[in-house]
Amino acid sequence: MIAPSGQLGAREASKRGGVSAVSWLLVFIPFVVVFLLIGRYLIAAAVLAVTILWAVKDRKSKRLPLAPLAVFSVAGGLLIFFIILPILNLLFTTEMSRVVSTALDPAVQSALAITLSAALIATCISLLFGIPLGYVLAREQFAGKSVVEGIVDMPVVIPHTIAGIALLFIFGRGGILGAPLKTHFNVLLSDSYWGIVLAMLFVGLPFVVNQCRDGFLKVDPRMEYVARSLGASWLGAFFQVTIPLTRRSLLSGAIMTWARAISEFGSVAIIAYYPKTINTLLFEWYNFFGYTYTKPLSTLLLLVALAIFVSLRAVATLKRAEY
Amino acid sequence: MIKLEGVSRVWPEFAIQDITLQVSEGQYLVIVGPTGAGKTLLLELLLGVHHPDAGRIFVGEREVTGLPPEKRGIGMVYQDYLLFPHLDVARNLAFGLRYQKCDREHTQRRVNEIAELLGIPHLLHRYPYTLSGGEKQRVAIGRALVTEPRVLLLDEPLSALDRGTAARLRAELKSLHSAKKLTIVHVTHDLSEARYMDAPIALIKEGRLDALGTADEMLRRPPTLFAATFFGAVNLYKADFAETASGPRVVAGPIVAEGGLAEQGSHLMIHPDEVVLIPNEPAETTNHLCGEVTALTDEGNFVAVQLRVSGLPAPLTAYVSRHFVRTNKLELGSVVTADVNRAIHVLKE
Repeated sequence: MIAPSGQLGAREASKRGGVSAVSWLLVFIPFVVVFLLIGRYLIAAAVLAVTILWAVKDRKSKRLPLAPLAVFSVAGGLLIFFIILPILNLLFTTEMSRVVSTALDPAVQSALAITLSAALIATCISLLFGIPLGYVLAREQFAGKSVVEGIVDMPVVIPHTIAGIALLFIFGRGGILGAPLKTHFNVLLSDSYWGIVLAMLFVGLPFVVNQCRDGFLKVDPRMEYVARSLGASWLGAFFQVTIPLTRRSLLSGAIMTWARAISEFGSVAIIAYYPKTINTLLFEWYNFFGYTYTKPLSTLLLLVALAIFVSLRAVATLKRAEY
Repeated sequence: MIKLEGVSRVWPEFAIQDITLQVSEGQYLVIVGPTGAGKTLLLELLLGVHHPDAGRIFVGEREVTGLPPEKRGIGMVYQDYLLFPHLDVARNLAFGLRYQKCDREHTQRRVNEIAELLGIPHLLHRYPYTLSGGEKQRVAIGRALVTEPRVLLLDEPLSALDRGTAARLRAELKSLHSAKKLTIVHVTHDLSEARYMDAPIALIKEGRLDALGTADEMLRRPPTLFAATFFGAVNLYKADFAETASGPRVVAGPIVAEGGLAEQGSHLMIHPDEVVLIPNEPAETTNHLCGEVTALTDEGNFVAVQLRVSGLPAPLTAYVSRHFVRTNKLELGSVVTADVNRAIHVLKE
């Protein structure tokens, strides 16, 4: 029985090998066209095309027939190209010496520190409140649950300039909460560091809450029951079992929130134009000096964001094989 | 010892209703019932992750009705093991000892003892995802036993295992029970498992306790119609009351149950292995039924003979030996007399 099936396997493999050369070409041609149109990105695009082709060729699942696979690969490849082209362009066409000198600019350093730290604080706050909310949404059924879930998603769909203005009416100098905060605690949120945190929190919260909820949904409640039968209190089971099992979801929620917070401009600029975040600074330079002047700063910010993103993704996927 | 007194709990889509049960110290109780009967919920009420709306639960002399699971001293093992995937086997086993303020040395010793007991010392440093089903279930049982609970709840512990592994583990559970003098409540839907454990069986139906008895009683003298059907009774007939020469009796067609009306019967059950077939003899006395053979099914160790009996709403099945079929030349259409006198059992609704 073994020999014939082995032969069949070999035959099939050779057949696939033959057809896949055609698919190679099919995928390749659009890239050639793209190369001709935008010659100066030839190298970047070639690297990308080869990567995609290599990935498609060595695919493990082999579920799609070759023709649709080729077409879809091209469509998908162009989309990836669309994302990566401006990024690569920015990275490869900026003089690194100018990026370094920009990084040494005190105004840039302070803006960068403000942005990263405010985003970090917003992320921590959103975790602190998002984990309990996500847990309740995952475990409990209650009237109005879908309304709550809808409300959580609202910051994603509300234009962020509007979010900024709406927040200003609450937390601004004369706002419902802003006024008493000012009179009683002498805390002013508009045009302050904490105003930035507030705006970042508002736009970043949905990611943490949704990721937490999805993570908790994947933990069987009976896992907690077992922990409790072994002597763990409710809180013990939550911290010893539930949280460790959802840490990847929590971490990816945190990454998304932090990334979203770092990139936030609209609501931050309205609530707190000063102190300047890196985006506000970028916007100002763009307005006053034009886009070539902002290029090194853009590249710098891009590098920082990419570095954070890649390193945290790496941490999140580190122990994936275990469970 | 565990005692449930009129325990009820209503959920929006299901209810456990008025369950009274008792398992004495060191006893084994098997809970059976169809899927969705509430067996697992009943265990979880015992465990304490749900609390009853009414009724009381005792473990030993202590009432635990309002206590959380961690204060009940009850261990739980689920069908799908639910090992903590982020901990290796040793730390899974040691999990319960964290809450007993054990020092490192004692923890180590307990883990080794338990691993030895269940034959898993070689697995201690592996993660759950690398284990087979049987190994996982051993770890799950070990994890529950390590804290020395007074009561162990098993929710279909063998259902997800292949037959050989399940049979081995079943035997180990039985010997573990007698060695450790544990009180065990074991939920299953597998009748052979229930019979093997040789323990009282509680039959649950739609959140209620339907019947309680030994495996033998459930098979030979099922107290309810549901128990009879659930345990695979073959000949079941709707019964009536009728005046006979010897007074009022429970009857089904030509079959008359002996004895008075002590049991308010609604159905008659005829044990197919107690039916005596008599060829070539006219049926003249009570409970000697004349029937025509409509099917002969070789069941391996015996032959099931199906008879059409006039007056009976459904065919009557009798088990006979192959030898009997051969010597009496039984075939389709043969007419025989069936003596059911010793085979009648009266059931309640």
